[in-house]
Amino acid sequence: MKVVHYINQFFAGIGGEDKASTLPASREGAVGPGRKLAAALAAEGHELVATVYCGDDYAASERNAPAEILALATEAGAELLIAGPAFGSGRYGIACARVAAAASAAGIPALAAMDPSNPGVPEVAPAVAVNSGDAARHMGDALTKMAAAAAVLAKGGTPGEAEGVIGGASAGARRNSLAPLTAAQRAVLLALSRLAGGKTTEIKLPDFGHVAPAAPIADPREAVVAILTEGALVPFGNPDRLESARAKHWFRYPLTGRDTMAAGEFQSVHGGFSTVVANADPNRLLPLDVAREMEASGEIKALHPDYLVTAGNGTGVADATHFGVEWAAELRRAGVQAAILTAT
Amino acid sequence: MNLVPIAARVGAPRIVPTRGIPFPAGDPSLDPEAERAWRRRLLETALVAVSTEVHKPTIFDPMLVAPAPA
Amino acid sequence: MVPSPVALRRLIHRVTAVGFGDATGFEAGTLSASRPELEALVADPALTSVRLSWVSPGDSARIVKVLDAVEPRSKGPKGGAFPGFVSPAKVQGRGETHVLRGAAVVAAGFLPRAQEALVEMSGPAAELSPLGLTHNLVVEFEPAEGAAWENVDAALRRGMLRVAARLADATAAAGAPPDEVEEIATPGPRSGQGPLPRVGAITNLQTQGAFKDVFFYGHSLAGSPPVAIDACEIDDGAIVSGQYGHPALRNPTYVHQNNPVVAALRAADTATLEFAGLILSPEPVDQAAKELTAAHTARLCAALGWDAAIITKEGGGNADSDNSLKMDALEEVGILGVGLFSEMSGPDGNAPPLVSPPSTATAMVSTGNYDERLQLPAVEKAYGAERFALLDVDASAAMEVPTAVIVAALSPLGWGKLTASGADMVSE
Repeated sequence: MKVVHYINQFFAGIGGEDKASTLPASREGAVGPGRKLAAALAAEGHELVATVYCGDDYAASERNAPAEILALATEAGAELLIAGPAFGSGRYGIACARVAAAASAAGIPALAAMDPSNPGVPEVAPAVAVNSGDAARHMGDALTKMAAAAAVLAKGGTPGEAEGVIGGASAGARRNSLAPLTAAQRAVLLALSRLAGGKTTEIKLPDFGHVAPAAPIADPREAVVAILTEGALVPFGNPDRLESARAKHWFRYPLTGRDTMAAGEFQSVHGGFSTVVANADPNRLLPLDVAREMEASGEIKALHPDYLVTAGNGTGVADATHFGVEWAAELRRAGVQAAILTAT
Repeated sequence: MNLVPIAARVGAPRIVPTRGIPFPAGDPSLDPEAERAWRRRLLETALVAVSTEVHKPTIFDPMLVAPAPA
Repeated sequence: MVPSPVALRRLIHRVTAVGFGDATGFEAGTLSASRPELEALVADPALTSVRLSWVSPGDSARIVKVLDAVEPRSKGPKGGAFPGFVSPAKVQGRGETHVLRGAAVVAAGFLPRAQEALVEMSGPAAELSPLGLTHNLVVEFEPAEGAAWENVDAALRRGMLRVAARLADATAAAGAPPDEVEEIATPGPRSGQGPLPRVGAITNLQTQGAFKDVFFYGHSLAGSPPVAIDACEIDDGAIVSGQYGHPALRNPTYVHQNNPVVAALRAADTATLEFAGLILSPEPVDQAAKELTAAHTARLCAALGWDAAIITKEGGGNADSDNSLKMDALEEVGILGVGLFSEMSGPDGNAPPLVSPPSTATAMVSTGNYDERLQLPAVEKAYGAERFALLDVDASAAMEVPTAVIVAALSPLGWGKLTASGADMVSE
């Protein structure tokens, strides 16, 4: 079977973050980590015919990117598509997930490899997600698993746990059950166990992952600054139907030609707080009036011409992480150096 | 409910506390001129924040942070 | 170690059957209620009408719009139960207290800011609520036209407590010997000798104003610093709930009267630990006050010589931070804090369980996942309202609900056995 491999600009050898806006492109044969993958596939009688690559910012924020990448893969004769491994990288993971999902939806069996914590995982379906581990030190293992899973896919089968497929959404789920003792009694036992040097707990502290703070900007006067909000501030009438709670979407609206967020032209559809005072003066959610003033006075170089918005109300952590990755990619592509996000 | 500890908990690197959930960039208890000055203060603090090196979630209190020199 | 002297004797009368009769009384396990007599106790200008009904475990019945529930208790002819409401606000917790175990008075009906709350009397969800296991005298009501909701609430609370007191007074007056006597002590000063660790309870009380407040001797703890009290006082109804938010995360008066953490500590007292007492703390609304209260609580525990504290909350994610801040503050002064938390892990159990977990402390007990769905079968009779407002369905219909709507199902005070991910203690 003819296999096409999708990787990002870094693993394609194009460059790092400075090349993250690289447009989708295709090369014959295997590139970078694809060489070991190609060897493993060859052992099963499959040929890695081409490598499609793209910059992470473009792939994760440009809506047509997955279709463009898929078109290149199809052009190269893809009968099966393998994406990644993306490990813990958010933008790369989302790109792999979308490319594999698009391929699978188009009838090309596909898999994407990434860490189970990667925000791309929820987007892999209907393709298959393979556990790559969280960092590139797991590259060898990841490629072996990917080749094994691909071999199963090629036979029309469904890869499973043995091939490193990440279990269904319920794998790590917390389910309710009745314990033999009441919570109060268990708390007493836990206290005694801890006092005796034990380390147990019934709830592991949630792991929100680690966000490496961006380097500071040298001088705001030289920076393009974006203003963003999760306060669900949308054009009056909510034309795109942003959800008021548990949002699955975010939107981008232009600020060009505006010096202030005028009452009556914008409204908050947030379902988690009283929007009366925000609607009376939407600058209270999105500080456009003062931001324009600072742009005019040179305190910042320029204001990004769009604002990004979602509703942060009961939003799932996975969805919120996802939005964050997409927003970061979009803003980086647009040359924004700093962003001010209002939280409600 | 105060969002600052939540923001710190989930790892937001630079945090500016404001005065209320329904109006993160304002304060309806002030007259319009004073409210706009408060909003300016918030944005000035935010610019100080993005110009400051941090290694973990860090709070920049608009009442305490001096604006960057113009 | 020498146990502390007995401070309070609970005279337990087990209620095994209930009904209405000409007179209110108790005989051979059967609690009888006189409708006109008890309805008159609830009558108030803020209420047009009151209706009493008995529902018992196993009945094909459901109570919706549940507000509060009280265990009938009496101090005998001299009175003293429910200080600040039924009797003068004088300190209690001594002598004898008649307890009608297995019975509760339950108020149900519409009040503003009250979240839709439900109790099943049979089926799989019955055992999740303490009130699914008791014979309940349900108090339904019609508010008077134009009456302020605060007055309706106050009238209902007063009436419910009077009814509870009257049921127990009648039992006491009947003179039958109790089925059981429980002798409880109040913790003495630090022994300083025994090898056993001193472990106490910190009970956070919600303090968010009308319909979201808890009363101690008739007053909200809002604005108060944390206070150490004699744990026997709660037996006589020193704590009364007027808190109608988050049903599953609610501590009805009934659960305060039987504070499960205090009970568990007493059960272990002199065997594996020394019960070190009870601290009540408000749950302030703003962050600075929350932090100050946590710091004061930690100082108080240190002053009382505690080695560990079990901390409980009331309410949703906001109240988590009261637990978390106290756990961290205790750790800072070298005292172990164990916190009870309900989880908000989403219907599938995949979301992070806590919005506001501690920063440094880690000893947590799970009272279950708030969001997990339950299937409730249709029932013959519903009390409290005709409709179940949350789903806009007939109150007696079969329905799918989150665990969050079952009263005290995720009992923040630790009444329940529900836990998420099994009770297995996960290693860090």
